[in-house]
Amino acid sequence: MGGFLPPAERRSGVLLGLYATIALLLMLTGDRIPQSGLRGAGAWLFAPFDRLVLVVDRVGAAWRENERLHERITRLELEVTRLHQAGVENLRLRDSLGLPAYRTLTLRRAEVLALAGEPVPTSATLSAGALQGVKVGDAVVSNDGLVGRVGEVYAGLARVILLSDPNSAVACEVESTGVQGVLRFFTSPRPQLLLTGVPMADTVRVGQVVLTSGLSLRYPRGLPVGRVERLARDLNGLTREIEVAPAARRSRLRHVYVVPGPVLPGAPGAEVVR
Amino acid sequence: MRVFAGLLLLAGVALLIRSTALSELAARGVIVDVLAFVTVVWALRWGESQGSTFGFVLGLAADLDAAHWLGRHALALALVGYGVGRLSGALVRGNPATQFMLLFAATLAHQAWALVFELGGVAGWRFLLGHVVVSGLVTAPLGVLVLALVSLGSGRSLFSRAAIETTSRT
Repeated sequence: MGGFLPPAERRSGVLLGLYATIALLLMLTGDRIPQSGLRGAGAWLFAPFDRLVLVVDRVGAAWRENERLHERITRLELEVTRLHQAGVENLRLRDSLGLPAYRTLTLRRAEVLALAGEPVPTSATLSAGALQGVKVGDAVVSNDGLVGRVGEVYAGLARVILLSDPNSAVACEVESTGVQGVLRFFTSPRPQLLLTGVPMADTVRVGQVVLTSGLSLRYPRGLPVGRVERLARDLNGLTREIEVAPAARRSRLRHVYVVPGPVLPGAPGAEVVR
Repeated sequence: MRVFAGLLLLAGVALLIRSTALSELAARGVIVDVLAFVTVVWALRWGESQGSTFGFVLGLAADLDAAHWLGRHALALALVGYGVGRLSGALVRGNPATQFMLLFAATLAHQAWALVFELGGVAGWRFLLGHVVVSGLVTAPLGVLVLALVSLGSGRSLFSRAAIETTSRT
């Protein structure tokens, strides 16, 4: 039987050729193959192990975090009282101006089980899915600000497309001046978040806060996205190139909140939001 | 059967570490290329056929974890596994210097190939070069240290009784 087999060198060469051919074919046609089911199965398979590793990693961090959170809760409670008063006043003023009231956000807590993508993570796996009411398109925020939006939903898990995915785009505005732009992630010449489409005539300063704008269908208005870090002129000289430092630090993503997306026009229940 | 189970176990552990503990480091710009490390170790231990198979399976799983470009890790790691497996018969596999050089070269090749896709080309070659070299300089010594600790813990070298193809051919 062994005599029918080719020599070891030839066999390994053929094997490598086969692997290289499959890999090249996948690279050429992979985007046309439905991968969401496979990724869902992988996420389901790894989720318990991810949790196990994270528990060990997080026990120590949780103690320190607990102390910090106690202090922060005290400060925030004071601030909430102040903001509540301001909110009541804001509501009254908007009412007197005939403006519609802001949409109240409901938050669903979820844990980040894993990040994918190097050198910059482009997606994350969350511990909440369809069973917890998470839907494709929901915004995901952390304590610091916007993280991304839900791209795929499985039964008990969801996959988040982070702001650092080059295919992600978010309509934003600069706080206080209201300058509008679209936030995109660029990988070349170096990974950076840029607020694009801002005319040269608009005034933007380093350090200003960037928020989601009311023009976005996906994201509620006013979510913090980051701060203006660098200003330059884009290659064609027509618009500004504004680099934004993200508010949510990817290296510290642990607990996030899923914000249910708005009911889009035409969808059932749209008139309720309107 | 034991080899197959070992292959799946090692691949699973590598992917798990990569997506949890190492992803936080990667977000800070320090990439420990655990995929290249385990492929090199497996290929050194078992030779080119097993090395390329392990690299391909591991790479394919890593590709499914990423959002785009299915097949890029699989191709690079299969080639790394094959190359290291071919060399393993002619090298002193237990020598830390040999391990360092192999890990450094494998990390460089894998990271350069994978990052070119992530960055959409070589326009940002300075960033790419910096990341690739740092990744190699972190992964290689760390890998040698891990191998030394495993040898110390188990009381024997991982590669001392390796029944690789090159020896079985003779």
